Amino acid sequence: MTHAVSEAVEATLTLPEEDVYAEFCRREWCDGLPFVPPTPERVRAMLAGARAKATENLGVMPPLWRECTVEKLAVNAVMAGCEPAYFPVIVAAVQAVLDPEFNLYGVQATTHPVAPLVIVSGPYARTIGMHAGHGLFGPGFRANATIGRAIRLILMNVGGGWPGRGDMATQGSPAKFAYAIAERVDASPWESLHVALGFEADQSVVTVFGGEGPHNVNDHVSTTAPGILNNVADVATTLGSNVGWYLSQSQLLVVLGPEHAATIAADGFSRADVQRFVFEHARMPLGRMKLGGMWDMRDWPPWMTKVTDETARLPRVPAVEDVYVMVGGGSGKHSCVVPNCTFSRAVSRPLDRLLPAS
Amino acid sequence: MELARAGTPAGLITTTVFQRLALGEMAALGATGLPLLVIQHPLGGEPPEGVSRRVEQAVEQLGAMLGGR
Repeated sequence: MTHAVSEAVEATLTLPEEDVYAEFCRREWCDGLPFVPPTPERVRAMLAGARAKATENLGVMPPLWRECTVEKLAVNAVMAGCEPAYFPVIVAAVQAVLDPEFNLYGVQATTHPVAPLVIVSGPYARTIGMHAGHGLFGPGFRANATIGRAIRLILMNVGGGWPGRGDMATQGSPAKFAYAIAERVDASPWESLHVALGFEADQSVVTVFGGEGPHNVNDHVSTTAPGILNNVADVATTLGSNVGWYLSQSQLLVVLGPEHAATIAADGFSRADVQRFVFEHARMPLGRMKLGGMWDMRDWPPWMTKVTDETARLPRVPAVEDVYVMVGGGSGKHSCVVPNCTFSRAVSRPLDRLLPAS
Repeated sequence: MELARAGTPAGLITTTVFQRLALGEMAALGATGLPLLVIQHPLGGEPPEGVSRRVEQAVEQLGAMLGGR
């Protein structure tokens, strides 16, 4: 162990076993749930799971701008209950959230209840058992639960995102405990999300999306793409949403349940068609927008501020590409929309260089 | 920090609720020597009188800061 933080952890681990959990809680080193003690042996085993040096500094993590070494990530991954094979995903996810485009400071410190949603695409998701079917958002699946939890522990322990201090979310969110999913590639009528984002199909990629918890889309009736997607668009369009008011950074993630996706695809819709439909229909009339208080805090491009027609329907995201679409879930007629933290943009990182040689 | 180093009075402004975050940020960024102006939380949803009160709070602290130079 080479860092002071790890030495302090190591010292705490010498306490009687029953006292370690209480001491970690007292020191605010955990998320409140029981954890796996990060012994040096376990941390070393975790580090062996990815091709990255323990001392490598990935950057400084807000809001307290602490150095984010790979070793610190491993300590938190152990605590979260990760297997070493998950570690490349965690390193890539942290690389992604530290990209300035993601604006982790904003995601961490905002009063808006948002968290980095980790989406794992490509073959490595299956290799490590990431779950994309029934209940992919949880609970029940170790890879999803512990990868998501590791990211949260890193945001708290390394970044300093403690509720009410570094993490100013007014009410927090269950998504802040663990928020990691994979794509349901076997049930998707379209190419994978990472392919749509420009990566090769055989690559494995982590995408981080700073988002609220999922908002349900219920449609047990529609037999057409527009029928389902009108519901998706409506869920994405509410007066109380953050999305739309700070338009330039607004994004929406649509996670279509496989049955909805199949209905939409059977109607001849491609992924791009879904994006365009949601972009064009997730809109609100100007007159309705004026009913909400956020009207006085809008940050719009000049063309939107010049609109005076009260019936004009204005967009919630700046471009078609700002509607992300993927397939996930099991049987049933539900999908969801994840509105983003509107000063953050989704970022993707390939796992290629982090995967251990097979 | 660059402004302060160059001799221009500079500081941070925060609200009461965000004061701990601001202090943490200042410590992390090596800016503990800068003054911190603290105004009443919240900022949103305030009528014009509330906004005026916060302006007065900021100006009062700013005046004290400049007067104490």
